[in-house]
Amino acid sequence: MEQKRLTLIPERFPFLCQWEITCRCNLRCVMCYTDCFNRPDKIREELTTDEIVRIMDELADAGCLELCLTGGEPFARPDFFAIYEHAKREGFLVTLFTNGTLITEDIADRLAALPPHRIEISLHSLTENTFDRVTQGNGSFKRCMRTIELLLKRNLAVVLKTTAMTMNKNEVLAIRRYVSGLGSVGYKLGVEMRPTLDGDDSPARLGLSPAELLEITRQDPELWTEACRKQSQQMPPCESGKRTFHIDAYGRLQLCSGNRRQGYDLRQGSFKEGFYHTLPTFACPFKAGLPASLIQVSAGHV
Amino acid sequence: MGKIYAKNADFVQREVAGECILVPVRRQLTDINSLYVLNETAAAVWKRLDGKRPMQDIVGDIAQQFDVAVEQLEKDINAFIEDLLRIRAIEEAPS
Repeated sequence: MEQKRLTLIPERFPFLCQWEITCRCNLRCVMCYTDCFNRPDKIREELTTDEIVRIMDELADAGCLELCLTGGEPFARPDFFAIYEHAKREGFLVTLFTNGTLITEDIADRLAALPPHRIEISLHSLTENTFDRVTQGNGSFKRCMRTIELLLKRNLAVVLKTTAMTMNKNEVLAIRRYVSGLGSVGYKLGVEMRPTLDGDDSPARLGLSPAELLEITRQDPELWTEACRKQSQQMPPCESGKRTFHIDAYGRLQLCSGNRRQGYDLRQGSFKEGFYHTLPTFACPFKAGLPASLIQVSAGHV
Repeated sequence: MGKIYAKNADFVQREVAGECILVPVRRQLTDINSLYVLNETAAAVWKRLDGKRPMQDIVGDIAQQFDVAVEQLEKDINAFIEDLLRIRAIEEAPS
């Protein structure tokens, strides 16, 4: 058989979905933008298991390959494994975003038996005091660190990430060094403080100034490279809605997690209709500019 | 070519942007590059592996569909089957 590569993905193709399957969470992180909807009346509005499975089947039928399940805390849904295992059986490459505090040894075993493409865990600090103040959850630090150990012991692909803010700004570099010592574990530094989903901009008060961020990133070569890349004038225009898209906990299809001004109701209409006909009409202030370059995804061959 | 092969249910076939992909659901992928992308003939073989039909039937089918010489096709398909066996995407079924 000749060599074959997964190369030319059309310019508009639903390749990667970020799906906020719940706003439920066991923690109350001070900077969280979804926690305002972590309340009974909003939870009752969230998609049911059957609705999620039905929409997921539509995504698979449309060719979607990468699926990121996030929250809230995805593991806070009692039906999490019904959703996750369905996604895996459908052949999605599933990434999980989690706070890591609900993963027990049994859950780690279950994940290892059907491994996610990647598990990304928020690591706010290496000290119990700071960590638990950020999450407002006593014992969350110990549970998170235990989870990291459980997952690494099972050789699962883990990425740790920190949102830099006033409460942990003096610890970011230590976290970075800690993660570097964990071998294959990836690291991401977030700096964005989003307004809450109900429109409150108060998380912004926890954010760092550009000077404070500069002071941190310039001390680490990789963080510095990434910061420079983001600052570069060469950054391409936003591609959200073309090969990536977002679904919220209520089944609204949106351009991305950060732009929810418009949504297409997947409870009412089909995914293909929403993605190909409605999503392109949604506004985004970052979309003007150069044409998109093609994704060049190479792949092995049998 | 008289052998019969059954698929391993832990490999899921997906159609993505016109490509036929095999996703190993129980394996930790190091990156997206470790997916298996099948060419047209390989995809046609994969779709016909059902644990019942002998390979000679499948080759005959495909030779008709693609209008190619059976000898070359057999060679290609044998190599493909070897690859599938190596990654344990299929196993020989009792005939």
